[in-house]
Amino acid sequence: MRYLVMECHPGYAILLDEEGRFLKAANFCYEVGQTVYEPVLMKEPSSPSGQRRLLRWASSGMAAVAACFLLFFGLRYYQNYVQPYSSIYLSINPEVQMDLNRQGTVVKLTGTNEDGVKLLKGYDGKGKDKVTAADELIDRAIDMGFLSEGGQISFSIDSPDEALFQEYGVELRTKVTEHLDGRITVTIEVVNHRTGQGEAGQEGTGTTPEQTPPSDPPASDTPASDSPASDSPTLDTPAPADTDYGPNNDGVTDYTQPADPPTPADTDYGPGNDGVTDYNDTDYGPNNDGVTDYSDTDYGPNNDGVTDYTQPADPPAPDTPTSQPADPPAPADTDYGTGSNGITDYTDGTTDYDPGNVEGDSGYDSDDANDDGDDDGEDDEEDDD
Amino acid sequence: MNDEHKIIQQVYAAKEDVQAADALIRAYLPFIKAETAKFLKRPPVEGHDDELSIAMMAFHEAIGGYSRARGAFLKYAALLIKSRLIDYNRRERRHSHVVSLDTPAGETDTTLGETLADEKNHQEETAERDATRREILELTRQMEEFGVSLSDVADNCPRQQRTLNACRRVLRYAQETPQLLEELLQTKRLPMAQLTAGSGVERKTLERHRKYLVALLLIYTNGYEIIRGHLKQVMKNLSADTPGYQNQGKEW
Repeated sequence: MRYLVMECHPGYAILLDEEGRFLKAANFCYEVGQTVYEPVLMKEPSSPSGQRRLLRWASSGMAAVAACFLLFFGLRYYQNYVQPYSSIYLSINPEVQMDLNRQGTVVKLTGTNEDGVKLLKGYDGKGKDKVTAADELIDRAIDMGFLSEGGQISFSIDSPDEALFQEYGVELRTKVTEHLDGRITVTIEVVNHRTGQGEAGQEGTGTTPEQTPPSDPPASDTPASDSPASDSPTLDTPAPADTDYGPNNDGVTDYTQPADPPTPADTDYGPGNDGVTDYNDTDYGPNNDGVTDYSDTDYGPNNDGVTDYTQPADPPAPDTPTSQPADPPAPADTDYGTGSNGITDYTDGTTDYDPGNVEGDSGYDSDDANDDGDDDGEDDEEDDD
Repeated sequence: MNDEHKIIQQVYAAKEDVQAADALIRAYLPFIKAETAKFLKRPPVEGHDDELSIAMMAFHEAIGGYSRARGAFLKYAALLIKSRLIDYNRRERRHSHVVSLDTPAGETDTTLGETLADEKNHQEETAERDATRREILELTRQMEEFGVSLSDVADNCPRQQRTLNACRRVLRYAQETPQLLEELLQTKRLPMAQLTAGSGVERKTLERHRKYLVALLLIYTNGYEIIRGHLKQVMKNLSADTPGYQNQGKEW
């Protein structure tokens, strides 16, 4: 085939072949009017051919399908794993809100009060199971001093359905109890955040199994405080281990328990609470009257078998001058044991704390401050003033 | 980044304008040479190395084929240059057993080409070439009046044999009715309606290859004997009838 060179450009030459085609070819120093035989023709501009267009269609279609799949599974994933489905409000004193996904895994932790924020500082609970997160948070609370012996943990569960609330409640209670078993005794309360009711079907008051029921020994121990409509279930009721010394010291001294039998009405709790504590009547510290009354108890191994209730004048009870005379003449008129006539005399209208009662001073004077079982670790600085 | 932007604008301008394309190729000749040198492992010599011509053509092809979706222009051009050089190299390897005319002949300084007996009449050839050039220049000038350049025609040329044959049918019809060619020269417009009606070719096809048809019809108006002589095959096909086209198509 012969080609006629029609036009020359630096990059190419335009050739006319014998069939009437005009073609571009490499310009091997051609001149216009020259006839050439074996030119290197330029390839046709690569426009999207039919096949390629089909390929593009197919690939875009596949991309669309893939996008749909991704969207579908992404949504499923989001709903299952990312979106908060239920919440647990953990409150010790620090209050923490745990948002959980459908799997029960923590997706978000928020401190709902100042201590809660402090508790969460430097803690990453995301992706952990709710129980793990709760355990770790409780551990942190213990470490940071928010939770101590006898404290209370409240789980308020906000879940869309009742079954889930039950499931979470039981799980949290058992697992956390297991976790804390043998280390610390606390009250665990599970409440439905929506209805405000406690966990149904299990221990209405929400105390842990390991905490012995508060109604056992105290019944005979502190009759005054254990009268009808006594402590609220969440309040720390005195337990047998409730001594003021040794490892079981809960930081609250219960002076009224053993020491003041003659003044049963003079308790600081329950209906007998007269609002005045008698902390100064202790056997320790500056208020020590020099007489320890340990042996003179009516309970435990030191029980001498003689209740002193009938004694007309109990020396360590100087603060009952007015009420005492009423009792001694009627030794049988005790409220306990055989002498109990079923009538408590608490209501005799005579209190020990009328203005004239000089010795029955309140226990809250500043000089008594050191006697409050100063081991709660928190109020030390104030006490030392 | 800005520099890249500038070259992209230049490339897009060069797609539209032949002059701009030539200017761009000239401006980037060092780049083209560098790319060729990478392939040849030596700097190419202008006017001597065919590879450089191939590279320049590849650069021109890159201008035509470039779109922003293809990324950076120079990278694309470099890739295309390399590919075309490889293609060319493969093609040339088939002739590797052929002895070059430039190889030294014997002990003398003369090359093999110079020892061959010169059978052609150089003077006659040069005169013929001059005549051809004059004709081509005249054709180019006339085409300009129609707003058509040879580059446009080359881009507009039918690529399928079937389309080419359709264009030939139009040409034959125009030849048979000389007043159409006169009308073309006077109005500087293709008498589309008549051509469509007379040749039986779809109007769409004609419109798509308008520039090519202008060139083809102009060649057959007057004067361009040498070009027409070159196109003898077109004549032959024109004299033959439609079945001949199909045979032609098979050959191709």
